[in-house]
Amino acid sequence: MALFEAQHIKAVYHRDGKVFHPFTDVSFSLEPAKVYDLVGPSGSGKSTLLRVCARMLNKDGGTFLLEGKPETAYAPTQWRRRVCLVPQQSVLVNGTVRDNLVYPWKLKINEGTQPPDDKTLKTLLEMADLPDIELSRDASQLSGGQLARVALLRAFATRPVVLLLDEVDAALDAESAHAIGKLTKALVDEKMTCLRVRHRSADGYAFGTFTLADGVMSYADNKPTDENAPNTEGGSLFDALKAIPDTEDILPEAHAGVEEGEGKLEALGEKLREREEKLKGTHHE
Amino acid sequence: MSDGIVNIGYPELFAAALLMLVAGAVSWKLELGQTRNIIVSSVRAFIQLLAMGFILIYIFRYQTWWLVLLVVMIMLLAATQISVGRVKNQIPGLWLNVFISMFVSSVAISLIVIEGIIHADPWYNARQFIPISGMVIGNTLTAAAVAIDRLFADMDSRSNEMFSMIALGATPKEAAYPSIKAAVGAGMTPVLASLSAAGIVRIPGMMSGQILAGADPIIAAKYQIVVLLMFSAATTIATVMMCFLTYKKRFSPDGYYLDKGIRDPQPSRKKPSLFGKKATKEAPGTLKQTDKESQAHSAQKANNDK
Repeated sequence: MALFEAQHIKAVYHRDGKVFHPFTDVSFSLEPAKVYDLVGPSGSGKSTLLRVCARMLNKDGGTFLLEGKPETAYAPTQWRRRVCLVPQQSVLVNGTVRDNLVYPWKLKINEGTQPPDDKTLKTLLEMADLPDIELSRDASQLSGGQLARVALLRAFATRPVVLLLDEVDAALDAESAHAIGKLTKALVDEKMTCLRVRHRSADGYAFGTFTLADGVMSYADNKPTDENAPNTEGGSLFDALKAIPDTEDILPEAHAGVEEGEGKLEALGEKLREREEKLKGTHHE
Repeated sequence: MSDGIVNIGYPELFAAALLMLVAGAVSWKLELGQTRNIIVSSVRAFIQLLAMGFILIYIFRYQTWWLVLLVVMIMLLAATQISVGRVKNQIPGLWLNVFISMFVSSVAISLIVIEGIIHADPWYNARQFIPISGMVIGNTLTAAAVAIDRLFADMDSRSNEMFSMIALGATPKEAAYPSIKAAVGAGMTPVLASLSAAGIVRIPGMMSGQILAGADPIIAAKYQIVVLLMFSAATTIATVMMCFLTYKKRFSPDGYYLDKGIRDPQPSRKKPSLFGKKATKEAPGTLKQTDKESQAHSAQKANNDK
């Protein structure tokens, strides 16, 4: 089943009093554990599409489905918590690398959940080929490539369901760009999917490629290799990061919308309790 | 009270107006582009202050609570108009928010001072109510314009940062909070500075006026202390209220920031401007500037897309 689906999306925005429709009917779906590329000529609306997906730009029509539920089931902040857009120029907040990685937990949306501990953060930095960056280093001392990776880790650490990357490697040298690609691939597991807008030549990590041109979206699988195969092994790192609870903080009407029976709700509650217990277990370690 | 008051005759008053000619001549000679402004502002101050004096005489004689409140209301409307006219950003609905914040802060603070500190009798006594609320309104006016300008300029300069924050699930308030802090700070700085400079660097205007008019310096000082504290309280309330009422205007209903690239250009204000012809004259200019900026932005965006 697709983790994320976009059906007949029509984008609209106003600029200088004129109405722009970069595309009027775009549909696509993203499957778990896979990384996808989104390419297309300049001005075709790739960045606009990502913004619309993250509900950071109004759409004029169409529906998004996240794990089968429509976007109307979520408040905008809850949606963005799950469908996380990383812009090209990520801005880090003032403070240390640690302050930045745990920044999302200062927000109301993550209230009541625990930020990852230093050990987990350190592991994340190692995955990003940044083993010699201390958590206490001031964020202003990072280079462009390091900064882009910390921003990506910051988004990833909250375990969104969909990761949307808008040219995060555009301003970087080839080596840093490759490190970003490798990191992205390593981070996306079976509970997550990722769509990247890229202008560099394909780095081999994408499972498939979407092309958006003249308002039409097309898709082709890339040649399967070891590098772009879906990442099915989770590993202990992913368990240490708390995934988003299934039921809590979704708008009440969502339950009516998806027509869940009483029994199913109870089962979900049970699952939630199990997960909480498991989490407590990991924190004791 | 009246012993020692030196009245100024009308010939002397008009002679004083000649002082403005110095400023006007300098501006004209150096082509500072302020000549017109200087003349218009001077004439306005002259007429408005004298008119206020005559109105006050009338109100002191026949004072009723509604007449006093009417005068305060007119002052508030004028202050709102002037401070909104000074704001460079075009923000729909700003007028009402500025009016509400100024109304709440100035009326609340004036009433507290008049009832609790000066013990005016009756509470609407025009001799106290009008000058005090007038001073409070005049002071919050400046702070309001500074704070709002700062708020929107700061949010624009932080639009990338706010984008990252909102993408991580931040609410508009969480994203805008650093800008709100900066704006309130900017609005309050002049008041706090005048508090610390009072008495050392200068004798504030109100105290000077009372002393010149022959009042006991200690009484004048006490009044001045009350007035300065009143200013800082009123300014704080007004700027905080204003920032919290207006920051959301730059966010969409879905909670993302309307940066320059996706902002609807604001229609120029159509409100008849009673007191600030400048405001309407400035409007097309400012609009042009935003257009230019957003064009630059879209051009930059197109470049990025390559």
